[in-house]
Amino acid sequence: MKLFIKLVKKVAGFFLNVEWEADEEIVVLFGPSGAGKSITLKLIAGLMEPDEGFVKLSGNILYDSERKINVPPQKRPFGYVFQDSTLFPHMTVKGNIAYGGKHIDKRSLEHSVRQMIKHFHLEGLEDKFPNEISGGQKRRVALAMALMREPKALLLDEPLAALDSQIKLEVMELLREVREKFAIPIVFVTHDIFEALSLADKMVIYINGRIAQIGAPLEIFNNPISQDVERLLCARELFEEIYILSGAPTPNRFRQFRKT
Amino acid sequence: MDSSILFSLRLSFQVAFLATLLATPLGILIAYLLAMKNFRGKGALDAFFTLPLVLPPVVVGYYLIVLFGKNGIIGKFLYEATGWSIMFTWYAAVLASFFVAFPLMVKTTKAAIEAVDKNLVDASYTLGHTEWDTALKVILPLAKRGIIAGSILTFARALGEFGATLMFAGNIPGKTNTVPLAIFTYMTSGQYTKAHIMAVLFTLISAISLYMANKYGGSAIR
Amino acid sequence: MRKKLYFLCLLLSIFLPLIGGGCSTRKKELIVSAAASLKDSFEEIGKAFERENKGTKVLFNFAGSGFLRVQIEGGAVVDVFASAGEKDIDLLEKKGLIKRGTRRDFAENEIVLISPARSKLDLHSFSQLSQPVVKYIAIADPKLAPVGQYSKEFLEKQNLWKDVEKKIIPAGDVKGVLDYVARGEVDVGIVYRTDALIFSKAVKILAVPPRGSYTPPRYPIAVMKNCREPALAEEFILFVSSPTGQGILKKYGFRTVALGNG
Repeated sequence: MKLFIKLVKKVAGFFLNVEWEADEEIVVLFGPSGAGKSITLKLIAGLMEPDEGFVKLSGNILYDSERKINVPPQKRPFGYVFQDSTLFPHMTVKGNIAYGGKHIDKRSLEHSVRQMIKHFHLEGLEDKFPNEISGGQKRRVALAMALMREPKALLLDEPLAALDSQIKLEVMELLREVREKFAIPIVFVTHDIFEALSLADKMVIYINGRIAQIGAPLEIFNNPISQDVERLLCARELFEEIYILSGAPTPNRFRQFRKT
Repeated sequence: MDSSILFSLRLSFQVAFLATLLATPLGILIAYLLAMKNFRGKGALDAFFTLPLVLPPVVVGYYLIVLFGKNGIIGKFLYEATGWSIMFTWYAAVLASFFVAFPLMVKTTKAAIEAVDKNLVDASYTLGHTEWDTALKVILPLAKRGIIAGSILTFARALGEFGATLMFAGNIPGKTNTVPLAIFTYMTSGQYTKAHIMAVLFTLISAISLYMANKYGGSAIR
Repeated sequence: MRKKLYFLCLLLSIFLPLIGGGCSTRKKELIVSAAASLKDSFEEIGKAFERENKGTKVLFNFAGSGFLRVQIEGGAVVDVFASAGEKDIDLLEKKGLIKRGTRRDFAENEIVLISPARSKLDLHSFSQLSQPVVKYIAIADPKLAPVGQYSKEFLEKQNLWKDVEKKIIPAGDVKGVLDYVARGEVDVGIVYRTDALIFSKAVKILAVPPRGSYTPPRYPIAVMKNCREPALAEEFILFVSSPTGQGILKKYGFRTVALGNG
């Protein structure tokens, strides 16, 4: 499974022009707020239409401005977790998850939903409404919903925003599990450097609607391509300090962050 | 009690109920289009549907005659095809109430639909649900409060409709004289007692039905 | 500074009209409530009266006579009342709202059966109204306008009322009847001859009541008790009965009445 995208979009005075690809890995779109990361996800999912470009998923052309192909969002095989993990407030947890199983026939639906609930440790919450569960639980429900579709790629818009650090770690573990289990591209948008570094197999740096640099976190850290990128990563000093101060056995790769 | 008073009371509620029945689904449809879609002339359409709210009801009644009267632009075809004209029937009263109250339904519902989080709509699409499915399962349930409020407003406005009804349906005793029209006739012909009885009864029944509508509407929302 | 200017303008806009209204160099005003059927003729009479009596202004209030009576009973400020038919003025007289000795008849009218000008209906007499081809008959609401009362009484006397009652569409006043007929919404209507003549382009007269079958409505006029300019009001009534006034009325189809009746 491979995701290729090239997107050009002008919207409200903001000009987006990006191109990258993702294998079966976690790709983090990283950059300051307003750099175009969320818009990219919307364009990939078909919720907004680009001015030109293409979106290809392993040979399936979902969007191609030259060949005038534009598959509607309903038919694109993406799982999408929105910012603030948008859950339907008028449906229960069970209802929300079931809502993602549109393609499953009625008889198996019940079973599939129960599987999801077990897998995401949501037992006991089936009949609760979104406003009765915690932030971390909401994220898990949102993930379960998106995965019910058996998507061929996962798009996540700041899924860890406003979560307690503890919960963040839990959800991050979940995402790693998903990567192992489903072997699909996972595109993850964040402006938090710690999240990016912890999860990314590949980082795509967004600055002002353009791609500034693409690479593994380590590569970028050691060789920031420009001053802007370096400024974005400024937290790395803090990062180093935390690890060194904690006295914890620092993984090798972080020691190499120190510039010689 | 005078049978004519009973007749007018019954007629008024019948007319208002039917007008609301017509206005609700149509209003939801128009409100959905105005809230969710972008197309050329949308602003003009919005203004067009708001117009009856701004025009004096007698002017609305006048336009209804021009459109649906026996020699009206639309009414002419109806008459030629069926020999039937809507004027001077109680259906005319329903139509008059409908047109006058329709903007209320549209405006209220439109605001309710616009208030639904757009992310929810997008989320529904990404989960594979069609626009129709999304409208039925996500948008309308979440806009339920506004829709019910719109219906109640429509019903209330239809009950009190006078000007357009007078023009288009006429003030025919035993056929089209709704309570407002009947009260008007009694007042202007000096039959003050009848007018008084009617006004009091009407106020009472209307107040009770509105109270119940509000209550039921409130409990219909989880 | 701008705020002060705005405030000043606001004050002026509120108080200026009030100041203007109280000025004493106003024209002498006469308020005349008259039956709807008198609209066109009385407007012309009003203008003629103003020409002959410089410094006066005649303001008219036209509606069904019944409606006007109820207004007066309710305390409306009216100087002169001209009604179609005796009933409403009788009622006001009984309540003592008429200035004694000022009442007089000034015109006579006749009711006619009309249809839309381009109607193909083959009708020549009122008795044919019971035919099924006549679906709607418009008359003025008997409760609100005398012409409606006359129409109903005439049909009752001719033993036609019970057959046609279901087809009757009551209009607010005689102008409403004319509108319905002119527009073709009803098949026929009953109005005054004077009204039919004004609308001669849109309606045509089909039949008139047979001679002696009813008493043609007389139009009385009177000064109201709480009139503000009694001398002027009496001048106006005299003017209506004068050759000038009667000439205007005749032009519009009214029949004239010998002076001095009460």
